Amino acid sequence: MTTKTRYFVIVSLLTLGVGLGTGVVAYYVGFPAGASASRGGPAELGFVPRDASVIAFANVHEIMGSELRQKLRRAIPIQQNGQQELENQTGINIETDIDSIVACMSADAAGANPPGAGMVLARGRFDETKIEALMRERGAHVETYSGKRVVVADPQDAATDPSSSDKSRHGHPSLSLSFMEPGLAAIGSTTLIRSAIDLHKAGNNPQAGLESVTGNDELMNLVRSLDNSNAWAVGRFDALRTQSHLPANVLSQLPAISWFAVSAHINGGLRGTLRAEARDDESANSLRDVVRGFLALAKLGSGAKPELQATMQSLELGGTGKTVSLSFAVPAELFDVIGAAATLRKPAVR
Amino acid sequence: MSEAPRTPTVLASAMRIFDLSLGQMLWSRRSVFLGVMLGGPVLLAVTLRLVDTLHSSGFRVNGAAVGGATIFGMMIWLLFIRFIVPVLGVFYGTSLIADEIEDKTITYLFTRPIPRRSVLLGKYFAYLVCTVLLVLPSVMLVFFLIVPTGGGSIGAAFPGLLADLGMLVVGLASYGAVFALVGTRLKRPLVAGLVFAFGWEPAVLLFPGYLKRLTVAYYLQALVTHEMPQDSSVSLLLQIFHEVPSVAASLSVLAVVVGVALWLSGRAVEQREYVLEQ
Repeated sequence: MTTKTRYFVIVSLLTLGVGLGTGVVAYYVGFPAGASASRGGPAELGFVPRDASVIAFANVHEIMGSELRQKLRRAIPIQQNGQQELENQTGINIETDIDSIVACMSADAAGANPPGAGMVLARGRFDETKIEALMRERGAHVETYSGKRVVVADPQDAATDPSSSDKSRHGHPSLSLSFMEPGLAAIGSTTLIRSAIDLHKAGNNPQAGLESVTGNDELMNLVRSLDNSNAWAVGRFDALRTQSHLPANVLSQLPAISWFAVSAHINGGLRGTLRAEARDDESANSLRDVVRGFLALAKLGSGAKPELQATMQSLELGGTGKTVSLSFAVPAELFDVIGAAATLRKPAVR
Repeated sequence: MSEAPRTPTVLASAMRIFDLSLGQMLWSRRSVFLGVMLGGPVLLAVTLRLVDTLHSSGFRVNGAAVGGATIFGMMIWLLFIRFIVPVLGVFYGTSLIADEIEDKTITYLFTRPIPRRSVLLGKYFAYLVCTVLLVLPSVMLVFFLIVPTGGGSIGAAFPGLLADLGMLVVGLASYGAVFALVGTRLKRPLVAGLVFAFGWEPAVLLFPGYLKRLTVAYYLQALVTHEMPQDSSVSLLLQIFHEVPSVAASLSVLAVVVGVALWLSGRAVEQREYVLEQ
């Protein structure tokens, strides 16, 4: 072997060795890949308890101001009663006052939170005094928890002692609201609001049993893997199964998925990704086979509908190992078609 | 009375041939072609990385955002499995013996006191080491350039990379052995190899039935952990008729393919009388 050949072999093996070494370190230490990749996700996740089974985010400001929303609004005029009522009751105009929301759902097995107990952290501009006064008018009372004012609205048929339990006799959780910091309102189950206040005050302290979802690596890896979408949801699939109230025989047919992630970017059109983490490679392959079959049929069938072709062509099945992903894009033109169809159908309904 | 010189074993002889052939293979004209072919994906990865750095919106495929791991998977499928590995197999595998015949240097090797099949075996090892040492670092560079884009995690994608590297080694070994057999048996091995790699294999994979089992790609694709890209109507048909044998079955079949192809090639080299054109 000549010196030149020997050098080539050494350089090649070094490249492989360095690459494999870096990969092994990344795999075991789990450092984020990108230099800019930080903890990932919005800062409000720091107030969401670690055991949250589903977390979601929406950039309300971007979505409300999106071209798609304006187009849909023109094409399908939606009754604004609910939005108006909320504004009357709380002084919050969703379109202008809320910038973003982070929502979470906690359905822990220990039963500390009722099934489906949730919390919404909204960032925006709020008239704190007006909101508190309106809630008190409707029977809510104010408590102080860790130095924060918490407005607690018990269900009408709840037990009279609000501190006795988070649940009423009928299992409905009491609803609380607190302004964690200027421009950040937390509303939801009293237990979750209290733990959010604890996290806001003390930060992560796993030794004391207080940790935010940012310490949940599995969930945060999914959050980090999402692109710069303006709406997403990530969670444990079993949380959805338990909340779905489907018959047992239907539930048993559902694929063995442990985590799911949905992300969407809404602007002129809608593009997004559905991602599922199966329990094992075999389950992932089965799921891919099913999705692949549907995609193939849908793509073949869309030939007769040119307006659907761009959407169908955008469907892309991906993922490796236990991950199955499906990306899609719905062009703005399709919403024009839907709007036109809705306009045509309206007189017939009447 | 002096003892008759012992004929070295096939393996020892093959190692000597390997030592000679590796340098020849690496610094031949064909290596320029190999360098361009493997530099292409790295250049593409650098470009994609630059685009990702400059445009914060990331990559889009048909308007939908895709992560770095998905793009890496697509590159493994489209560039490496469907193109680079078969091409390297055809160009290098068919020329293991053919080059020596063309250069009229086969006589020098065959007149040595070594088994003829060790010439083929040594050259096959040299091909395998040469291609593996070029392909694997190229894939490694592409991985580290592409996977971190779009919020991808190197740690999460790393087990997939190991599977890819293993699959590529198996692919290079299988295609190399098959085309080594073609090179020793047929008169125009390059044409036959190209027809097999880019005619027979893609065509047969499109249709349902058992014919696809007579391809290397059918078994190799079972070792790929990435989802097959849906880049054309041909891919759509491939998806519909996509059957995946188990990993164990694929590895076993490919091991048998390599063993049988090398044995038949060695036999052909032993038995065939090479007439050098003057």
